[in-house]
Amino acid sequence: MLTIIQNTFREALAKKIFYGYYIFYAIVILIMIFLVNMDSVEGVMSLADSKMLVQQVETGFFTLSWNLIIFFSLISTASFIPSMLEKGTIDLLISKPISRPIILISKFLGAVLFVFLSMVFLLGSIWLILSLKSGYWDPKFLLSILWITLAFASMYSVVVIIGLTTQSTVVAILVSFFLIFVLCPLLSLREAVIFSLVSNDTVKFVFDFLYYVLPKPGEFKDIANSMILSEQINMWKNSVNTETGIFTISWLSPISSVLFMLAVMAYSIFYFSKKDY
Amino acid sequence: MHVIETQNLYKEYTQKFSKQKVNALNDFTFNVEQGEIFGLLGPNGAGKTTLIKILLAITFPTNGSAKLFGTDVKNHKAKAKVGYLPENHKFPSYLTGEQVLSYYGELSGMKGGSEMNKRIDEMLGLMNLAKWRKTKIKKYSKGMMQKLGLAQSMLSDPDLIFLDEPTDGVDPIGRKEIRDILAQIKSRGKTIFLNSHLLSEVEMICDRVAILNKGDLIKEGNVEDLTKTENVFAIHTVESLSLEIKQKILLIDKNAGIGEKEINTETGLANLNKIIDILRSSNISIQSVNQKTSTLEELFINVIKKDNTN
Ligand SMILES: Nc1ncnc2c1ncn2[C@@H]1O[C@H](COP(=O)(O)OP(=O)(O)OP(=O)(O)O)[C@@H](O)[C@H]1O
Ligand SMILES: [Mg+2]
Repeated sequence: MLTIIQNTFREALAKKIFYGYYIFYAIVILIMIFLVNMDSVEGVMSLADSKMLVQQVETGFFTLSWNLIIFFSLISTASFIPSMLEKGTIDLLISKPISRPIILISKFLGAVLFVFLSMVFLLGSIWLILSLKSGYWDPKFLLSILWITLAFASMYSVVVIIGLTTQSTVVAILVSFFLIFVLCPLLSLREAVIFSLVSNDTVKFVFDFLYYVLPKPGEFKDIANSMILSEQINMWKNSVNTETGIFTISWLSPISSVLFMLAVMAYSIFYFSKKDY
Repeated sequence: MHVIETQNLYKEYTQKFSKQKVNALNDFTFNVEQGEIFGLLGPNGAGKTTLIKILLAITFPTNGSAKLFGTDVKNHKAKAKVGYLPENHKFPSYLTGEQVLSYYGELSGMKGGSEMNKRIDEMLGLMNLAKWRKTKIKKYSKGMMQKLGLAQSMLSDPDLIFLDEPTDGVDPIGRKEIRDILAQIKSRGKTIFLNSHLLSEVEMICDRVAILNKGDLIKEGNVEDLTKTENVFAIHTVESLSLEIKQKILLIDKNAGIGEKEINTETGLANLNKIIDILRSSNISIQSVNQKTSTLEELFINVIKKDNTN
C-alpha cells in the first residue's frame, strides 16, 4: 500500500504540471509577502487591528482562490487513474499479490496525501508570513488545510469513478470543472436564483435533492472562513438572517460531502474489483 | 498438488458495439506440474493471453475455475510466488530501470534495502542492463524494455513465471541468453509458462506444449512425443540398390519411396524389419536407420489446418 502511495507521489512529481502548480503557489506566496510589506508602511497597528486585518486577508484569499486551488489540484491528479488503467500497466499491477480494493484505495490516498502536503506548503507559508508580520498567531487558519483537502477528496472521488469508467483524463477534468464552477455554485444559490424563476415542485425537489447529495467544495470554504472568524456554525441547516443578511453555514455540507465521497469510493471499489482488464 | 490447475475454463467476450460474442476460451482443462517449462501455442487471437489473464485474475472467466498452487485465483494470495511479463508491458516512464525493479519488487512483497539492491544488481547484470540502471526507461529501446520486463518478472525469485511473448523484439544473441536463463531457472525447480509464436524456440526450451485454436485445446503433450512421426522411417545404404532389390522392397511396401541409396517407408516397424532383412540377405550394408521427426512448426501448421477445415 505504501509502495503504491509512494509511486503516486513520484508520478505527480514527474509531471510538468506539477511545476506549474508550484510556480503558481510560489507567486501567490510572493504576492502575499509583497502586500504585507506594503501594509506595514502605514505604521504600527494595535493587536486588535492586526487580528482583523489578518482575518480579512485570510478569508479574502479563500474567497478568491478556494475553488481555483481545488480545480488545479484535480487537474494535476486527474490522470492517475487513467494512466494506471493503461494496457500493460494494469495487468502487471493486478498480477501482484495485492487485492484490487487496496490498489484503488492506495491510489486515492496517494492523490489526497499529495494535495494535503501541497496545502501544508501553500497555506502553511501564507500563515507564517501573515503571523510573522502581524504578530497575531492564530492556528485556526491551519485547520483550513484539512477543509480544503477534504473538499478536494470529495471531488476526487468523482474523478476516480469517471476515470475508471471512461479511462479518460479529459472527461474527468471536464466533469469536475462543471461540478465546481457551474453545478455546485448554482445548487448553493438555488433558492435565490432558480426558485425565483421556476416554482414547479418537481424542479424544486430535483435541485434540492442534487444539492443534498452532491459534494459542496465551495461550502467547505464557508466552514473554513467561519472558523477563522470564530463565527457560529449551524448544525443542520444553512441560514440567512433576514434582517442583517448574514449567512450562516451548517455542518451539513461537509458531512454530506464526506458521505458522498464514501459512497462513490465504495462503488468505485466494487466496479474496479469486478472489471476485466 | 499441481502448480496450475484449471477446470472447464470458459470465457466469452462481448464486443461493446456490435454485441457480437467472441469465445476466447472453450471448456479449457489442463494442469501444469512443478519444474516444467510449459509452452502455449496458437495463432493470433487464439486465446493465449486471455488464459494467462484468467490465471492471474486480471480477467474473470465466464465459467469454470482456476487454481495456482492449490489456491483459487480469486484469492490474491495465490499470486504471492508468481512472476509475470505481460505482452506489450508498459512501465511508468518517469522511473529509471532500477526504480522500476524496486517498485515492482516491493509490490511483489519484497523488502526494500540492501537485500533487494543486491538482487536488482544481479538481475540487471544478467540482462546486460547494468549500465542503464540509472537511465529513465523512456530512453530504452524495445529490446531493452523487454529485457527489463523479464528482469522484473524474475526479481522476486518466484516459483512460477508467466511469460507472454518473452523474446518479442529481442535480438538473436539476447534470445539465446534468455533461453539459457530460463533453462537455469527451470533447473532450480521453478515452473515456467510461456506463450510464443516462435516455434523453433519453443521446441528448444519447452518440455510440454499445448496448441490452442479459437479457444479450443486441440493438442497437448510432450514436445518429443508430438514431433515424433510414428511409422515413418528412412534407411540409408552404403551400396547402390539394384533393380531386383527395389522390386522386392516394393512387394513389401508398394508405396515405399526408393532412391539410389535411400528407402523411405511409412508402413511401420514390421515392414521396416522385413526391408532390412532383404537388404542384409543381398549383402547390402546399412549406413543408418532413422525414425523421421517433424518440426514443431510442421506439426503446428498441420493441426491448425486440420482444425480449421473441420
Ligand atoms: N477485452 C476484450 N474484449 C473483447 N474481446 C477480446 C478482449 N480481449 C481479447 N479479446 C478477444 O479474445 C480472443 C483471444 O484474444 P487473446 O488476446 O487471448 O489472443 P492471443 O492468443 O493472445 O493472440 P496473440 O497471439 O495475437 O497475442 C480474440 O478474438 C480477441 O479479439
Ligand atoms: Mg497474446
